[in-house]
Amino acid sequence: MSIDLLFKIAAIGILVAVLYQVLVRAGREDQAMMTTLAGLVIVLTMVIKEISTLFNTVRTLFNL
Amino acid sequence: MEIIKIIGIALIALIIIIMLKQYRPEYAIFISILTGVLILFLVMDKLTGIVNLIRSIQSKYSINTQFIALLIKITGIAFLSEFAVSICKDSGETAIASKVELGSKIIIISMSIPIISSLLEIILKILP
Repeated sequence: MSIDLLFKIAAIGILVAVLYQVLVRAGREDQAMMTTLAGLVIVLTMVIKEISTLFNTVRTLFNL
Repeated sequence: MEIIKIIGIALIALIIIIMLKQYRPEYAIFISILTGVLILFLVMDKLTGIVNLIRSIQSKYSINTQFIALLIKITGIAFLSEFAVSICKDSGETAIASKVELGSKIIIISMSIPIISSLLEIILKILP
């Protein structure tokens, strides 16, 4: 739960962007789309985990 | 000291977002959401201190506990809905943002009905 999470997501984003270009140049558009979706899902799960912890703390704090 | 951390995180996230926006715009939204969550976590312990202070004042002077608990709940709802509304506006979805705002307003009004009704009763008692 700190700044390195931001860097992790930035690294995944750049990696997916590079992989996308490489795969498109290599003529495999479908695999390129797959890697983009895979990167998206990974980052989404990380972000959702953080958001759920935030919501739980806020719920217990304000006893919503 | 906290404020320096908050500003640092915000600037770093800004740079990452600008860098990522040209290649993968969807990651920019992820990073902006995550920065919001990080900054809220930084100030969360101060917020808990404030809420506990309000609760201790309420229990010490035995003000009507039902209303104070309701007020704290309403601030929690406003806190969360503001978080979502700003993210939706940031990514350009003002329609969704206004819907979330509308929903949170309706929930807050529906929760504050007991306060309003008791206020009216007090006023009616005062009137001759």
